[in-house]
Parts: sequence; structure tokens; C-alpha cells
Amino acid sequence: MEIERGQALPVFRPSSWERPRDGRFFDSDEGGDISTAKGNSPAPNLIRNAAPGVVTARLDDLAALGRSNSLWTLTFGLACCAIEMISTHMAHHDLDRFGVVTWPSPRQSDVMIVAGTVVKKMAEPIKLLYEQMPDPKWVIAMGTCATSGGPYYRSYSVVMGVDHLVPVDVYVPGCPPRPEALMDGIVKLQQKIKRDAKEGVRSAPVIVGSEPESAPEADVEESND
Amino acid sequence: MTTEQAYDTVDMMLNMGPQHPATHGVFRMVLTVDGERVVDVTPHIGYLHRGSEKLAENESYGQVVTLFDRLDYVSNLNNELIFCRAAERLMGIEPPERGQYIRVILAELNRLASHLLFIGTYAIDLGAMTPIMYGFRERERIQNMFESVTGARMMHNFIRIGGVKEDVPSDFVPRVRALLDDVERGVQECDRLLTFNEVFLARTRGVGVIDLPTALSCGLTGPSLRASGLAYDVRKDYPYEVYPYLSYKVPVGENGDCWDRYYMRVLECYESLSMIRQCLDQMEEGPVMAQMRRIARPPKGEVYVHGENPRGDIGVFLVSDGTDKPYRVKVRPPSFCNLVSLRPMMRDAYIADAVAILGSLDIVLGEVDR
Amino acid sequence: MTEQQPPEEQAAPRPAAHRGPPIEVAEEVLDARGEHTAGALRLALRDMALESGGRDDVPWVRIARENLVRAAEACVRSPNIRMDMLHCMFAVDYEERIELNYALFSLGNGHKALLKVDVPPDEARVQSLTGMWEAAGWYERETHDLFGVEFDGNPDMSPLILYEGFEGYPGLRSFPLHDYEEW
Repeated sequence: MEIERGQALPVFRPSSWERPRDGRFFDSDEGGDISTAKGNSPAPNLIRNAAPGVVTARLDDLAALGRSNSLWTLTFGLACCAIEMISTHMAHHDLDRFGVVTWPSPRQSDVMIVAGTVVKKMAEPIKLLYEQMPDPKWVIAMGTCATSGGPYYRSYSVVMGVDHLVPVDVYVPGCPPRPEALMDGIVKLQQKIKRDAKEGVRSAPVIVGSEPESAPEADVEESND
Repeated sequence: MTTEQAYDTVDMMLNMGPQHPATHGVFRMVLTVDGERVVDVTPHIGYLHRGSEKLAENESYGQVVTLFDRLDYVSNLNNELIFCRAAERLMGIEPPERGQYIRVILAELNRLASHLLFIGTYAIDLGAMTPIMYGFRERERIQNMFESVTGARMMHNFIRIGGVKEDVPSDFVPRVRALLDDVERGVQECDRLLTFNEVFLARTRGVGVIDLPTALSCGLTGPSLRASGLAYDVRKDYPYEVYPYLSYKVPVGENGDCWDRYYMRVLECYESLSMIRQCLDQMEEGPVMAQMRRIARPPKGEVYVHGENPRGDIGVFLVSDGTDKPYRVKVRPPSFCNLVSLRPMMRDAYIADAVAILGSLDIVLGEVDR
Repeated sequence: MTEQQPPEEQAAPRPAAHRGPPIEVAEEVLDARGEHTAGALRLALRDMALESGGRDDVPWVRIARENLVRAAEACVRSPNIRMDMLHCMFAVDYEERIELNYALFSLGNGHKALLKVDVPPDEARVQSLTGMWEAAGWYERETHDLFGVEFDGNPDMSPLILYEGFEGYPGLRSFPLHDYEEW
């Protein structure tokens, strides 16, 4: 097909493709300002227009999105908090809404919720369980005993917080924390996973209840640009 | 053990725990198995030993109550009650009658919550998923009631030496009545669903049988002992608080197997419901706390009291040296002694039944290890 | 509820004096049920009883260390008592002596009693009662863990609630309360 110089290129446009009004297609001159492109790089919103409905993201972000919405927790009740942890999983509070499923084996789990007092005799098994979990893995310290020793502070057989053994991502204080507090901890962990993927570092642990009530939650927004 | 003596068999060790969803906490047992049969079992405990008894020696009597909350963390109010009774016995004070009624209502509600938890977890040990949903639904109602009365869902610190912390809310009686109707429906639902279920019967009937002399020698108490055929209930035999004013039956089993131990607890749920209703009828207005000094300082002496917990017979030995801190507190935890009987129960059982037997004892590791 | 700590000028070692009102001693009175049990115990133990007392329905009898097994057998075999359950067994550290308490229950006859045995702390050793009650085994292991009392005849004295390598006996009064090692 011969095309004369200066004539617009015929562009195949399926009728189902709804192009945004301000958009422009590759090589098409209508409504576009080709001067924003530099060198070989195409105009900024090229791909969005070329394939509407397609989002672009970094692979880390996408993986974090998937990971944070299907956290499998290790079924691991240590003490009193375990009862509240079970309550959170049961019909009334229903942690399944957050994609959290308990799993008895550490080899298939992502999150270890340390629910209860960690005593020195249990320290080695906890380390072993943590090491058995595949990367990436996260730890939620539930209750004051797991965060700092709590009512058993400086008892001869109690470890002063599970962070002496494994790195902790979210602390949920309370003796025991209400199921709502644990759910808050789970949501905080999901936000932390996404934020960490974006920044590429493992950020400092989050303490549930330490932020002001109406803090702007900028990190929850899902932006793909 | 084996049917074919021609084969040479070697006993195999099978470890279970401390992290295992069916051990109800951090309990570890090493099974010695010969084929499919359990030859011997060695329980290992202490993975939750927090030194409560030692810590109690350096806390005032009022503070020790909070440690008792965390021993048997499924029936907190029953635990508070036993320690407060021990201190009261030593000090020679008697809580006012309304205080005693409130104590008994709360303790029986907690017994209901504990048994509902047992029904649910026992079903899940045997592979049934639904009853734990039902059980926790009712438990949530009871915990909401506790929250409105004591301010906490689990760790109440509500029963104090000399009575209870404060009077119940004004709408307590109608709310508890409405709650009891709901809970009764829930218990009936679990009961209908599970008790005479064909599969459930096949898994529990004749499994883990323990005869009465062995049970006594092991120190088995509570519903597990009553399942073996002895009607020993501290509330009936050595009545305390307002239990003598209530009329109720003590359910007794026949075979001492897992199903009996389960069914005793279901029947106790109905008895508890009736007990709470009677308490609500009999309760009158009045003070809830005895006149006493703000800081409890029992006279020098020692006392041994025991009471009926959902899991069995809890005992407290309290030595006072006359100061505001106890000299020695010793708890006789029912689950600890119930675990001793695991060995005779498991002898010659199938491996698949090991979880069913352990679950039927309804242990709470917090009080086993203290 | 706790009283305020004394100010800092009292840093000099002071005797463990009792602050507060004078110490009263609770009088020990047995009720009818306790008297009945105490009478039956006196008959069963005869000359073995060194001392006795009790409160409400739980009488106690102190016996010599070497008589422990004989006394326990008498409690089990005597038809009037028949202590079929070892309800609890525990130690109390009085510093100059360690007192072992055996809470014996008879569910058939409705008796409750405490057998007390004193052992010196430097030579804490008694006979095991595992032959009489199966429950005794675990109690003895626990007491061994926490108080260091040796029980002759217990087939398994491995640590029960503490772990291998734990130093010291945390139940003793001399064990510092907040003796915490960083883990």
C-alpha cells in the first residue's frame, strides 16, 4: 500500500476500544503533544491508551499485593491469647474476610502469630518453627507477654518478649488483645507488606494503637503510575 | 500386641508437639507405637511454665488474683473464686449473700463458656468443623455479657477478696435471662448435631476407657472422673458459696470412655443453665462486698481449700506469714492431674485415637505448667 | 494496692522487718467433719503422729521422715480412712526446713487430710510414694524441679516443668525473685 508523504497512517481501531478523550494513540496526531516524548521514549500515557484496562506495576508491588491479601497464619497458640486468636477466626469476627487462613504446618505459612507467653523452654521450638517457614515471613507478637513479658515480667522462666528470638513486624498490645485489635494488627501488617515492597526495605515494626486515631493512611492507596 | 507373632516388630517413637493444633496449647507427647497401636506415651509439659507461684510470693493478695486469672485461661472467674475463698477462709470473713450469688452466676456462666469451647475443639479434633463455629458463637455472647459486667472479655479481676468488685448493672437479670435462652438453644444445637452422630459415636465409644480405681490413683477429677462412674462433685460434696441453696443433678457416666467424658460436659451445660436461673430467682438486693480493710492482710496460718472448676477439682494451699504478701501459694491444677491419667488411657489405643483421647481430657496448659 | 517503696535513704541493709499492724495468728479450729477425720487418723497412725492440728475440715498430721511410707500405707489400708486419692503434694520452704505436704482425699468416706513431713534443706531426701498413687510421680518430679527434694524410688526424675540445664531451685525462698538472665 502506498502512502503519500503527509497523509495520516491508517490505524486499526477496534470499535470496542474506548479511547479516553484526552488520550492519543501511537503515531496518531490527534490531541497529542508529541513534544513531551524525549528521544526514543514514547509519550507518557502511551501504554494506557494502547491497551486500556492494563495496569502497570513493579513486580514487587504486585507480589506484595498478592501476599498481603492471602496471609496464611501458623496455628500456634501458646497461652491465653490463643483463645482470643481462635475467637478472631471463628464465626463472629471471621478473619477469613482478610484472606487470613490458619494452617497447622510452618512450611506453608506466611505469618506466625505468637499468641501468649514465651517461656525459655519454648524458645528453641519457636526459633525452629520460624526457621521452617519459607521466606517471606512475618511475625505478629500478640499480647503483652509476647511483646514485653507482660504480667510475668522478669520471671525466672519467661523470655521478655518474642523479639528476643525472632524479628517482629507488628506488636499488638493488650492482655489479651480484643479480636478487633488483632484484626487491626493484621491490617497493619498488610499495609506494611505493601509499603515495604514499594520502598524495598524492611521497615520498623508497627505497634497497634500507637498512631493517632485519624492519621491519614496514605499508604493504603493503590496507585499504579 | 501384634497379631502375627511371626513378624519381628520394632517399636517406633512418634513425636507430637509442642506445636500441634490438636494438643490444645504447647503440650508435647512422645508416643511409642507398635504398628497402629500405642504402646506407651510420655507426656512432656513445662512449655508454658511462667513461675506464677513464685511471682505470687512477691505480690499483694489483691494482685495475686490477676495471676490466677491467667492460670486456667478458659475459666478465669472460677480461678479467681478459689483464691479469694482461700484468702477469705484465712481471714475469717464471709462475703455478703448478693456477692456470693453474683460470684456463682459468673462462675457458672464461665463454666458454660468453657464447656462450649470444649465441645467445639473436641469436634474439630475429630474432624468436624461446624460445632466449633456454634460453640464460639455462644461463647461470644457470654463474653459480651462478661464485658458488660466486669469490663473485660477474659481477664476480669472482678472477684475480689471479700466479695466482688462492684454490683452488676441494673439490667443484669433480664439480660442474663435472654442470654441463657440463646445459649440453651446453642447448646441444644451442638448436642443434636454431635452427641448421637454415627461417626462421632464410632470415634469415641469405647475409646480411652479408664476404670475407677486407676482414675482415683491418677488423681483424675471433674467431669472426667464422673464419666468413670463416681458422683464426686465438690459443689455437692463439700458445698461452698450458695451452691447448697441450688438444686441440680450431678451427671454420672458408665463406661469412662471418651464419649462419656464428652457427654458429662454437655449435661453439665444444662445443669449450669438451670443453676444460673435459680440464682437469678433467689438473688436479692444488698451489699456485694464484705466490710474489710482495703489491703488484705490475713493472719498467720495456712489453709487448703478446693473447689469445682470446669476441668476438675482445683485446690489452693495458702500460707500467710501475717504480712500483705502470701508466703506460699500452691495451686493444685486439675488439668495437671488429669494429664497423669493420659498414660493408662492411651495404652493399646490406636494412633488415630490419641488425639481423641487427649481432647476428651480438655486440658489447659496454662494451669498444667503454671 | 501495693505500698510505696521506702525512700532512698534506707539504702543501708535493713532487717526484713515487718511493717504494718502487728501480726495476728489465725486460730485453728476443726469442724465436726474435721474432728471425725482427725479421730480416724489418730487411730490409723497411732504413735507415728508427732504433731497435729487443722482448720475446718482439713486436719493435718506431722510425721517423721522415715515413717512416711508406713504412714501413707496406713492411710490407704485403714478401713476407716481409705485415702484413695493423692489430691496434691507440694513443698513449702521455711528456710530452716522444707515441709512436704501430702493432701490425701478419701472420696468414698469423705475424708480430707494433710500429711506433713519435714526435711532439712541440706539433705532433702524422702521415700517416693509412686507405689501407692500413680499421681505422686509427677508431683515429686515437680517438687524436685522447684525445691531440689530427692525422692528415692521414683523411676523417672527427669525435669518435668523446667528444662535440662536449669540452675538453681526457683521454689526456694533463697532463689532471687527477679533473677532474670537475658535470653
